[in-house]
This record gives sequence, structure tokens and C-alpha cells, in this order.
Amino acid sequence: MITARNLFVAVFLALASLLVAQSSVSDADFTLSWTAHPAYSLSGSDPNRVSYLKGAVAEWQKSYPKVKLEANLLSTNNTEAMAKLLEQAAQGRAPDLAQIDTYVLPRYLPYLQPLDGLIKAAGIDMKDFFPFADKIVRGKDGKVYGVQFTTDVRVLFYRKDLVTTPPKTWDDVFRVAKGLKDKGYDAFLFPAGLAEGAANTSLWGMFWGQGGELTDAGGKPVFGTGANRERMLNVLRFYKSLVDQGYTPSRVANYGNEADLNTEVAAGKVAMFLGGNFQVAQLSSIIGAEGMAKWGVARIPQKAGAKNATSAGGWSWGIFTKDPAKQKAAFDLILKAYVGTEGMGGWTSVAGYLPTRKSVYTSPSYKPDAYSELFKTILESDGRVRPPADIYPQISTEMETALSAVVSGTKTPEKALDDAWAAVSR
Amino acid sequence: MSASPGRVREDRGLALWLLPLALLCIAVFVIPVFQILRLSFSASTLMKAGKGLSLETYSRLFSSPDFLSIMLTTLIFVVASVALQVALGFAIALYLDHGRSQGYRGMLLVRTAVLAAWAIPGVVIGVVWKMLFSELDSGLVMSLVRLVAPGARPQFLSSPVPALVSSIVANVWRGTAYSMILLYAGLMTFPRELDEAAHLDGAGALRLLFRIKLPILAPLFLICILLVTVQTFNTFDMLMALTGGGPGRSTEVLALNIYKTIFTEFDLSRGGAAAMVLLLVNLGITWVYFRFLKGRAE
Repeated sequence: MITARNLFVAVFLALASLLVAQSSVSDADFTLSWTAHPAYSLSGSDPNRVSYLKGAVAEWQKSYPKVKLEANLLSTNNTEAMAKLLEQAAQGRAPDLAQIDTYVLPRYLPYLQPLDGLIKAAGIDMKDFFPFADKIVRGKDGKVYGVQFTTDVRVLFYRKDLVTTPPKTWDDVFRVAKGLKDKGYDAFLFPAGLAEGAANTSLWGMFWGQGGELTDAGGKPVFGTGANRERMLNVLRFYKSLVDQGYTPSRVANYGNEADLNTEVAAGKVAMFLGGNFQVAQLSSIIGAEGMAKWGVARIPQKAGAKNATSAGGWSWGIFTKDPAKQKAAFDLILKAYVGTEGMGGWTSVAGYLPTRKSVYTSPSYKPDAYSELFKTILESDGRVRPPADIYPQISTEMETALSAVVSGTKTPEKALDDAWAAVSR
Repeated sequence: MSASPGRVREDRGLALWLLPLALLCIAVFVIPVFQILRLSFSASTLMKAGKGLSLETYSRLFSSPDFLSIMLTTLIFVVASVALQVALGFAIALYLDHGRSQGYRGMLLVRTAVLAAWAIPGVVIGVVWKMLFSELDSGLVMSLVRLVAPGARPQFLSSPVPALVSSIVANVWRGTAYSMILLYAGLMTFPRELDEAAHLDGAGALRLLFRIKLPILAPLFLICILLVTVQTFNTFDMLMALTGGGPGRSTEVLALNIYKTIFTEFDLSRGGAAAMVLLLVNLGITWVYFRFLKGRAE
């Protein structure tokens, strides 16, 4: 039974616990909320990454002993995570510091704080960043609103013991694949399922290589009209031919992300595949350094006469807090762990990503793998980021569906593309 | 006839006790539903709030060939899943009931094994079945198929029709336990005298089943079908992990479409409109359920 005395005791205890909680907070100057992707956080599953980050955070904490670091995690579903973070930002609930998938960073510009002063004070020159990493983080006012600290690049992986000269054109692919198929290999694999990896790795590079554009300067979709339609159809027809001729198994329609191919690669029946540079670290841990040594890297094969092009991704840090003290603490944290010369070299080496600052490649803190120099060359000459248009997520989703439908034989390239175009245009 | 003052006081007291629950329901259900309803009539995305209200989203939704194909896929998925879940659930319930009446050992183990499938989260079930249906030579189902037909290379998940069948199989595996629990509970309350009387009259097992047990259990079957139908309409987590809705859109059911529309395309208005369609379907089934329960009570 609820009596006045019981009620009084309950209220007293609740107030007391609130006061205790408040006093523990007031011991710190402030709390810095930090939201990161699990694989980039202190809660990651890779002990080497976690050990590196714990060391970097401990170092940072020495300079900020009275700042309480509140670490939160994004969902591992990147698209969903970015959608939720954007919603938080729009409602004024964004964390002080958050990790943002770089290609969507322009959508966060209204909520992010400029970092020019902090970057300059840290002695970092924005010209040291790859051009795409500099351009994407700038607002219309020319100010820098984020720092891209990792990048990645899509390439062709090929077995050096099976393929003497990696194919440069689609015609080369068919020629090489025929011999490989006769030997019983799955000649050419690529992600063609329902995730961003399929569009980003399998479609965009070949489409851009022909001069295709997904959106116009105003951010309106243009991939399904005029010459762009023909360019996109060429890519879809290329993949359909590979499946029809038995060079690619239709089960690639189940592989939405690049890493989904790793099991097949490890099984030893794959001769070539389209993937990302980050798979070097992933595959090395599965098949070992000796197994990885069999693999070479080359540019993505293009239609005859097309230019080289590939998609460059990566993650950025953005600061949402307007409090200058928090901004400084947040920036120093990312400087120590991810962005400074030592931080970027250390993090990209331990995690298997590529630095976004050119000078880091020659820094002692960076431990390159056998492919790093080539990845850097490809990035510099062919790298391109996805358009930051509001419509991009829909374009990507619809084109993933189209590719999956073509590869599984559900639709013709024409029907699949027209359906995707109709869905985006609506 | 007016209520007595004591009854009025009692009613007021009850209403007061129910007030927190009502407020909670309004906060976590009614307000979000109205918010989704409002979004469905706007042109909102996660980036931009739409201005004004119109029927345009619904017009685009119902005229979209994708939406019609998603509804057809949903219908096939739901009808096949519900029919198989209820049929298999009843078969297992009959087996358990028979085992119990005969004093077989191990019935508890069977019940636990069946219930385990129900207790496992949908995402885990999706991942497990994705591994089972792997089209590599190492896939378990593939290995079994190739024991029988060595040259066969079935495309469990990479061809539209087999992918839908595989999705239904995984969903039936997951959901059969629920039907089994409901129907087994019904069988346990079945009067043994009727069983014995039927036997004395010379009725065989099949006649006993079709002429006596099924008619008596029919109301329970209806409740079971309605509840399982609502659950199946809302299935999304398992399919997300198993097929992601692919290949193409061949396994994209309505609940999965809503998720993808909102969280990968950021389209709140279209996602909201599709969510309202799903809500109406569920409300329709719930209405039938309550009408039925009310009819039984009267």
C-alpha cells in the first residue's frame, strides 16, 4: 500500500541519487560525446585497432584530465547509421564529435562547425589532402566542415599465377575469362547484391569511365537519360554477358558488399574480382600473407576507349558542438588518433586503410603494404567521390536493385534501368 | 437505469488507475502513428521536412509497379508461410499430444527443440539460413542436394522464385513453434472422454481427427491463423539478413520495403504511406480477431 511515508522515502532516494549522479559529472570540466563506427572505436573486435586507440585516447586524456569522454557507437549498417545521425543533427541532438561517411558529409553541413582555425593551429595544410578529400568537406562558403581521415579505392584483384596480364578493357576480360573458365575457375566476381558496395564498386567506376554522370550540377538525377542511359546500359550488359557466358556465377547477386566475396576468394576458385583496397587486410587475415601474395592489383577494366575511373570512399570526423572548449578537445582527440601525421599513419596502418594526406605516405608512422603505392597512384589519378546530392541514396538503392535483377536474370538491362530511372524520377 | 454511487466511484477509481497506461499508449503509439500519418501526406525526407499536405504520395505509391509487385510478393509470402506454419504446427502438436498420452519419453526435448527456433532472434535465423543455403559447394543444403543429384547447382537465393521459396522455408522453420504452442494447448484441453467414446464407436484416427478434433479446435485455428498472419505481415528482420529483399525485388515484402524506403532512401513520406498500408492490413486482421472473440463470448 502506498503511504505518505513510503512516498516521501521514495522521492528522497530519487533526489539523492540524482544529486550523486550530478556531483560525479561536475567533477569533470565537461563531458565530450564521441560517436564512432564500432570498427573505428574502442569497442571494435580487432584487438590491434583497440589497443592502438586505447593508447591514443590515454595520451589525449593526459591533456584533458578533467574531460569525461562519453563514447557512443553508430550502427554497423552505414546507411542506417548516417540516416539516424542526420535525424539527430536536425533535431539538435547530435553528439559533440561524430564519424560521418564522407560522401554524405555535405548533407550535414548545416549542422557542422567550421574547423579552419583548429586545422591551421594544428599545422595541417589542406593542400596536403587528396583533392577529393579537400573538396568534399568544404561548404559553399569555402570553409572546412570535416576532416576525411581514411580513404579507400575500388580495384581489380587478380591471381598472378593464373592471369599474366590483368585485363584493361571489357574485351580483355572476356578473353582472359574464357581460359579461366575452361580451367574450372570462377573467372570474374563482383558484388551485385543489395548494398552500397555493389553500386560503388561494380557500377560507378565503369559508368564514370565512359563519361557518365549520376546527377547534374544541381543534384538532379540524370543517369537514366540520353547518353548516360546508354553508358549505364553498357555496364549492365557487360555484367549480363559475363553471367550468360558462365564467367560469373549468378550467386554474386547475393553479395552486396565487397567483403561478401572473401569466402569465395578464400576457397581458391576465384581468378579475378572487383573489390576495395581494405580487402587486403581482411583477406590477409583469412588466407595469410602467403595466400595474399598470389594476388595482384590493377585498375578496374573499362569499356574500350573509356577513361580510368574508380570510386574513392572513406570516413570523416565532424564536430557538431558550438562550445569552443569542446571543439578544441574533440579536434585534439581526432588529431591524436586519426588525423595528425602520426595519428593518420598509425591508424591507417593498423586498420588497413589509406591515408588521405599525401605526406603521411612517406611518414615513418605509416606502414604501407605491398599494394599501398599502387592504391595511392590509382586514387590520385582515377579517384572520384559519389555525388553528395540528396537523391543519391535512392539512385544507389535503385541501381543496386537493377544490377541484382540483371545478374539474377529477373530483368533485362533495359527493363532494369528503366524501372530504376522511373522509381528515382517519381 | 442509473449506476449506483458506489459503482460510479469504483469506475472513476479504475479510470484513474488506467490513466498512466493510457498516457503511455498515447505517447508511444498514438502520437507516433499520427506523426507517420502526417508524414505520409507530406513530401518529407530525412533531410527536408515537407510543406503542406497532399495525396500525391499515395497516388505515386499505388500507381507504382514496384509497389504492386511488393504487395504480390508479400501476399505469396504470407499465405504460404501461414498455411505451412499452421499445418506443421498442428502436426507437431498432434505428435506431442499423442506422445504425451502414450507416455513416450523425450517429449519435453522435442517441445524444447521446436520452441528454440521461436526464441532465436530473426536476424540470427536469417544469417543461419543464409549459411545453410550457401550456393558454394560447402553449403549444407547444397551438399545434401548434390548427394542425390551430383550435377545439380540449385540457386537457392540468387534466382527469384527459389529465393522466395527459401525465404518461406526459413520463415516456416522460425514460426511453426508458435502455432504448435497454441494448438498443443488446445489439444491438451481436449476431453479424453470424447477420444475414448469415438474409439468405442469404431472411429479411426483420421475420422477422429477430421470429424471431432478439427471441428472442436476450429475457433482456436482461426485465432492461430489471425495471429500468425499479423506476425508474418510484419516479418522483416529475418528477410533483411537472409536476402535483403533480393535478388532484384523478388523477396521484398512490405515491411522490408518500408525499412529500405526510410533508412536507405531517406524517403519518409513514401515509407510513411507504405507503413499506413501495413497498419491498415494489421488493423483489419485485428478487427476480425476481436469480432470473433466477441462473438464467442456472446
